[in-house]
Amino acid sequence: MAPAQNGHVEQPAPPKVPSKDPKKTKDEKKEEDLSEEDLALKQQLELYVERVQDVDPGVQKLALESMRQEIRTATSSMTSVPKPLKFLRPHYGTLKAYYETMEDSDVKNYLADILSVLALTMSAEGERESLKFRLLGSKGDIGSWGHEYVRNHAGEIAQEYQKRQMEEAHVDDLMDLVQQIVSFHVKHNAEPEAVDLLMEVEELDMLTDHIDATNYKRTCLYLTSFASYVPGPDDMLVLDIAYSIYTKFGEYTNALRVALCMHNLQYVKAIFTACVDPLQKKQLCYILARQGVTLELDDEMTNGNEEQRELLQEIINNIKLSEGFLTLARDLEIMESKSPEDIYKAHLIDGRASAGASVDSARQNLAGTFVNAFVNAGFGQDKLMTAATESSSGGNTGNWLFKNKEHGKASAVASLGLILLWDVDAGLTQIDKYFSSNDNHAIAGALLAVGIVNCGIQNECDPAYALLAEYVSKDESNIRIGAIMGLGLAYAGSQKEEVLRLLSPILTDSKVPIDVIAFTAISLGLIYVGSCNDEVAQSIIIALMERSDSELGEPLTRFLCLGLGLLYLGKQEKVDATLEVAKTFNEKISRYCQVTLESCAYAGTGNVLKVQSLLGLCAEHLEKGESHQAPAVIGIAMVAMAEELGLEMAIRSLEHLLQYGEQNIRRSVPLALGLLSISNPKVNVMDTLSRLSHDTDSEVAMAATLALGLIGAGTNNARIAGMLRNLSSYYYKDPSLLFCVRIAQGLVHLGKGLLTLNPYHSDRFLLSHSALAGIITLLHSCLDMKSIILGKYHYVLYFLVLAMQPRMLLTVDENLKPLSIPVRVGQAVDVVGQAGRPKTITGFQTHTTPVLLATGDRAELATEKYIPLSSVLEGFVILKENPDYQHDNRTS
Amino acid sequence: MLTVSVKWQKEVFPAVEIDTSQPPLVFKCQLYALTGVTPERQKIMVKGGLLKDDADWNALGLKEGQRLMMMGTVDEIVKAPENNPVFLEDLPEEEQAASMGHTAGLFNLGNTCYMNSTVQCLHSVPELKLALQKYTYSGRSSDLDPSSHLLTVATRDLFGELDRSARAVAPMQFWMVLRKKYPQFAQQHNGLFMQQDAEECWTQLIYTLSQSLKSPDSSESMKSLFGIELTSKIRCAESGEESLETELVYSLKCHISHEVNHLHEGLKHGLKSELEKVSPVLGRSAVYLKESRINTLPNYLTIQFVRFFWKRESNQKAKILRKVNYPIELDVLDFCSDELREKLKEPRQILRDQENTKFGLKKGNQSDSKDKDVEMSNAEVSLSTSCESSNSNAAGAMDIQKQAQFTGIYDLVAVLTHKGRSADSGHYVAWVKQENGKWIEFDDENPIPQREEDITKLSGGGDWHMAYICMYKARTIVTP
Repeated sequence: MAPAQNGHVEQPAPPKVPSKDPKKTKDEKKEEDLSEEDLALKQQLELYVERVQDVDPGVQKLALESMRQEIRTATSSMTSVPKPLKFLRPHYGTLKAYYETMEDSDVKNYLADILSVLALTMSAEGERESLKFRLLGSKGDIGSWGHEYVRNHAGEIAQEYQKRQMEEAHVDDLMDLVQQIVSFHVKHNAEPEAVDLLMEVEELDMLTDHIDATNYKRTCLYLTSFASYVPGPDDMLVLDIAYSIYTKFGEYTNALRVALCMHNLQYVKAIFTACVDPLQKKQLCYILARQGVTLELDDEMTNGNEEQRELLQEIINNIKLSEGFLTLARDLEIMESKSPEDIYKAHLIDGRASAGASVDSARQNLAGTFVNAFVNAGFGQDKLMTAATESSSGGNTGNWLFKNKEHGKASAVASLGLILLWDVDAGLTQIDKYFSSNDNHAIAGALLAVGIVNCGIQNECDPAYALLAEYVSKDESNIRIGAIMGLGLAYAGSQKEEVLRLLSPILTDSKVPIDVIAFTAISLGLIYVGSCNDEVAQSIIIALMERSDSELGEPLTRFLCLGLGLLYLGKQEKVDATLEVAKTFNEKISRYCQVTLESCAYAGTGNVLKVQSLLGLCAEHLEKGESHQAPAVIGIAMVAMAEELGLEMAIRSLEHLLQYGEQNIRRSVPLALGLLSISNPKVNVMDTLSRLSHDTDSEVAMAATLALGLIGAGTNNARIAGMLRNLSSYYYKDPSLLFCVRIAQGLVHLGKGLLTLNPYHSDRFLLSHSALAGIITLLHSCLDMKSIILGKYHYVLYFLVLAMQPRMLLTVDENLKPLSIPVRVGQAVDVVGQAGRPKTITGFQTHTTPVLLATGDRAELATEKYIPLSSVLEGFVILKENPDYQHDNRTS
Repeated sequence: MLTVSVKWQKEVFPAVEIDTSQPPLVFKCQLYALTGVTPERQKIMVKGGLLKDDADWNALGLKEGQRLMMMGTVDEIVKAPENNPVFLEDLPEEEQAASMGHTAGLFNLGNTCYMNSTVQCLHSVPELKLALQKYTYSGRSSDLDPSSHLLTVATRDLFGELDRSARAVAPMQFWMVLRKKYPQFAQQHNGLFMQQDAEECWTQLIYTLSQSLKSPDSSESMKSLFGIELTSKIRCAESGEESLETELVYSLKCHISHEVNHLHEGLKHGLKSELEKVSPVLGRSAVYLKESRINTLPNYLTIQFVRFFWKRESNQKAKILRKVNYPIELDVLDFCSDELREKLKEPRQILRDQENTKFGLKKGNQSDSKDKDVEMSNAEVSLSTSCESSNSNAAGAMDIQKQAQFTGIYDLVAVLTHKGRSADSGHYVAWVKQENGKWIEFDDENPIPQREEDITKLSGGGDWHMAYICMYKARTIVTP
C-alpha cells in the first residue's frame, strides 16, 4: 500500500453489490447459464440454508459447518466475488431473519460468524453489519476468513470507534478485535495497516507489544515518515512510539534521529546512557554534531570513562569537521584556490566582455570579496585574502582588503572567517592581525570573522566569547554590530547564558541606535532559536514597544520582529501568547510582526491550514502600503518546506501568486522559491526564476537572481552557471543587479561545490533549526534589498554560514581515520510501506568514499566487508568490520 | 604554582608553570619566550573573557593541567596603503566616463539619429578633435560666414562634452546651428523634423569644417586628414583626345551594381565613369571615359556606399540592399596612380618586414635571439610610436624629423550603418572603434560593446544594419 497521506487511511471499500430486485431477476435468468458444477454447488448451498433453519441443532450445526467449509475453500480471483458468497447472497435476508429468532446457543454464534462473512458483500454501506455479527459471533481466529475480511473489519472498526467516541460509549469489545487484527497484520507484512488501525482507535501504544525484530524497521520507517502528516500534538505521539521501538531493539542511531526530530534532549541523554558500545556512541556524537546540538556529556552518559568522554565531546563539538572536509577536498583534488574571475568565466560571454574598466569599482570588488569567500569557504586558502599573507613580503599584505571601501572592508576581513571556516586554530591566527588595525571597519570585520570561524564549533576555551565580549559595549556602531553578529553566529542554537547576559541590556537601552538593536535581536534570536525563551522575548518586545515611530519605519526593524520569531521557530502554538502581544504593537509593524511570528512558529511543520491562511493574506488588496504580505509569502515556503508533497503544492501556489499577485508579492515570490528548493536545482523552479530574472521590475529581477544562487548553492550546476553568466552580460551596466548576479555565481560554486545550504539532512528527516534561521534571516533582509544588502549591511550574507554543511559521505574506521570503500550513490527511492525488500536507490553509480551527495541522493555500501553504524549514510559514518564477511576468492 | 598547557595556533606547549603569586603579565612574558609574540599582542582565553594583565589568578579558578588557548601572531599589523585607492563610485562623473572605456552616447532629439551617428563617427578622429580645440575665432572672420563659424564652435563644444560626460549628451546647440547653416535639415513633416540622409550631413559637416579649419600651418587641416586627391584621365574613345584633371574629394564612392560583391570592385567602378561633353575636335558632344586614380592619400579614408538612388516613380531615395563585403584591413594600392605607387613601395616593404619579424620569424630564429630581440623591440617601439603619433597626446610628433609615411594600408575605425528601406527613413547607427581597440555601437544614447567579427557582418543583404559610410585610418610607418 502506498504511504498514507494523513494518517486517516482510506479503508478498502467493502465490495458491495446492491441487493435490488432487478438484479435478482437477472441472477435468476443467469441460472440457466451456470455450469453443472456451479449448479450443483448452488443447490447444495440452498440445501444448507434450509437445513440451518431446521429444528434439530445437530442438523443446523452440520449445515453451518458445511457452509463454512464451502466458503473457506472457495478460491476466487481478486475481481470477482467467491462463488459460495454469490450463491448465498439471496439467502442473506432469510438467514438474518432466522438468526433473530434463534435462541442463544453455540449454533447461533456459528451462524453469526457466517453472517459476518456474508455481510462483507451484502450489508449496505454504513451499516457495519459484518462487524456487528462478528462481535456477536464465536470470536474465533479472525485471520481464518482471509485478508479481505480482516481489512473490511479494520475499516468498520474505525467507523464504529468514531461513532462510539461521539456517544461516549465503551469500546472494550472493539479493542479485543483490534488486538487480533493488529497481530494478524503485523504477522502478514502489513505493518502500515496495523499502524493505521491503531491510529484510528488512538491506541498506538499497543503496537510495541506486537512488533518484533523482523518487522520493527518497516514499522518505524512508516511511523516516522507519516508523522509529518499528522497534526500536532499527535505527531509527537507517533514519534514517541517510534523512539520506544527503536530503543527496544537497540537501534540507537535511529532512536537518536527520532529524539532529535522531537527536540527531546531527555531522550538523547537516555540513549547515551542506554548505549554501551563506545563505537556506537561515537556515531551518535557525529549525528549530534551534524544537527548542531550542544550537549555537555556527563559521567552517567559516558559510563564514567573520562578519556572517552573527551573524545566524544570533541566529536560533538565538531572539532574535526574542518579536517574531514579537507579530506574530502583533497580526495576530489580540488584544493587549488579559485579566484572570482575563475567563477565569472568572462571569456565565455559573447561580445559584451566588460569594457576593460581601468578603475576598480568598489561595488564589484565587494562582490568579488563575497564570491571569493563563498567559493573558497572552508578550504583555508584563497587567492585574495590569505594568499597575500603567505607571500610574507609584508608590503603585499592586505592588498585586497584595501580594494574595498569603508564598510566593504568589514566584509572583506570577515570573508577570512568563511575561508577558514571551522578551523578555529588556523582561523584565529590569520584573523589576529586585523584586531590591531586602526580601521574600525577592519576590526568589525575581524570580530565577525571570529564568529564565522566558530560557527557550529564549540571549543573548550570558548575563544569567540572571550574575544568578542569586550567589543560589544564599544562606542562605534559598526564594531558593536560586528561583535554582536559574531556572537550570534558562533553560538547559534547554544542558548548560552553568558551571551544573553551580555546582550540583553543592549536591547532595552533606548540610546542605542536601531541598527545595533536590530543585530542584537537577530543574534539573540539565533542563540535561542526555537527555545521560546521568555527573557529574550520580553527584551525584544520592550525594544519594539519603546522605539519611536520613525525608528520603526527603518528597514532594519524587521530584524527585531524576526529575532522574536526565531525564538519560536517550529514551536507552533507556543507562540500564541507573544502573538497576542504583537497585536498591541505600533500599527506600523504590528501586522508585519504577527505574520513573521506565525510563519516562524509553523516553519517546517507542513501545516496546511497555516499555508492557507498565509495565502489568504496574500490575496488581500492593500491600500495603506502595509508590508506584511512579503513575509507571508516567505512564510508559505517556510511552513510548506517540511515534506515533498506540500512543497510541490506550495511551488504551484507561488506560481499563481506570480500571475495574480500584486507587485509587492511578486517581489518576494522568487525568495520563497529559493527557500523551497534550496541547494536543489529543480528544473521547473529554475525556469521560473530564470524568467523572473529578466523581469522589468528590478527588485523582482534581483530577488530572482539571488534565488537562482540559492537553489544552485553548492551544486556547481552548469545550467544555472550558464544562466548567471548570461545575466552578467545582460546586466553589465546595472551595478546593483550585477552585484546580485555575482553573489549568485559565488553561491552556485559554494565551497567549490562541496557544501550545501539545505537545512534538512539525515534522509530529509531532520531539520537544523539554526540553519533554517540563518537562511530566513537572509531572505528577510532581501525583502529590502536596496537598503540592506546593496546598502551597507551586505555582511548579512554571512548569515548563510549557519546553513553551510559539507554534502559528503565520509566513512571512517574504528579509530576515526578515513576509510575508502566502494559505495553506491543514486537517487533515493521512497520505500515506505512497500512490501518485501525494495531497492532504496535507483540509477546508482559506484564510487569510493569520500563521496558527494546531492539533495535527494542516497548512498549504500557496495561491500559487505563493513557494517555501517548509522542507518543513514550521510556525513561521518563509522564502519566496523563485518564478522561474518568471508573474502570472496573468486573475484581476486 | 600551577601547571597548565597552552595551545597556540597548531602547537601545544604541554607544561607551562604559572606562578600564581605574580601578575599574569609574568605568565605572558613566559609565553613570549616560547612563542615570540609580544605580551601586548597576546590574547589568552580564560573563563569569561581574556586574561587581563592585572587579573587575580585565584579569581580565575584555574585547575591543574587545564588547557589555555592563546591567540596572537608576530605578523605585521595591517596598514592601509599610503595612497588610498580610488573607486569608480568616488569619481566625478567625467572621470567615470574615462574609465568606462568609451565615450557617451547622444540623445535622439527627434529623428536625429543621422546626425548622432555622423557626429559619433567623426568624434572618433583624435586629430579632428585636436584641430577643433585649436580653433579660435580670431583672424578668421574675414573669409568665413558666421553660421559656419557657429557650427564649428558647436562641433568643438559637442566633442568636448562627449569626452567629459559619463551620461548621454543632448546635442541641442549643435543641432540648432546645423539647421541654421543647412536649412534642408530643418524640413518638417506633420510638425516633426524629418529623417535625413546621414551622408548629406557628413558631407556638409566635413565641408564646413574644411572651410573653417583651413590654416596653412596646421598639419591637421581637413585636407590632409580627409582629402583625397584624384587625377583623372579623360579620354574620348571616338576622337582619341585625352586630358588630365585633378580634383580634391573627401570620400570615395563605392558603386553597387550587379557585379559588385566586394568593396574593392565597387571602388573600381566608382573611379571609372562615362560622361558626355562637347568635344572640341569633333565639334559635337561625345562620350568621354573618365578614369581616376588616387594621387595623395588621406589620414582617414572615407568610403561611401552608394546605396541610395532616386527612384522617380516612388519619388524617394530607394535603397540597394545588395550585400557588399568590406575588409577590416583595406589596401588601396590598386587605385593609386603610378607615381604614388612608387612612393608607397618603400614604406610597404618596411611594414612587411616589421610584420614578418613580429609573426613569422619569431619562431624560426630562436637561437640568435639577442640582437633580433633588440631589433624586434625597436620595430615594435617604432610601430607603437607611429600609432601614437596619430593620437592626440603626441601632437608634436609630426614636426619632428621622423615622418609618418603612408603605406596604402588602411584599418577600419568607424562604420555608419543604416537600417530601413529608404534614406529618409529607418535608423542610423554608428559603430566606432575605441582607442582601446574595442568596438562600440552608438545607438543614440546607448553605447553597446560589440565584437570585431560582428562589424564585418554589417555588409548588407538583409534587413539588418548595413554599412553606408566606412571610415578607414591609414596605417603609417615612421622612417628616420
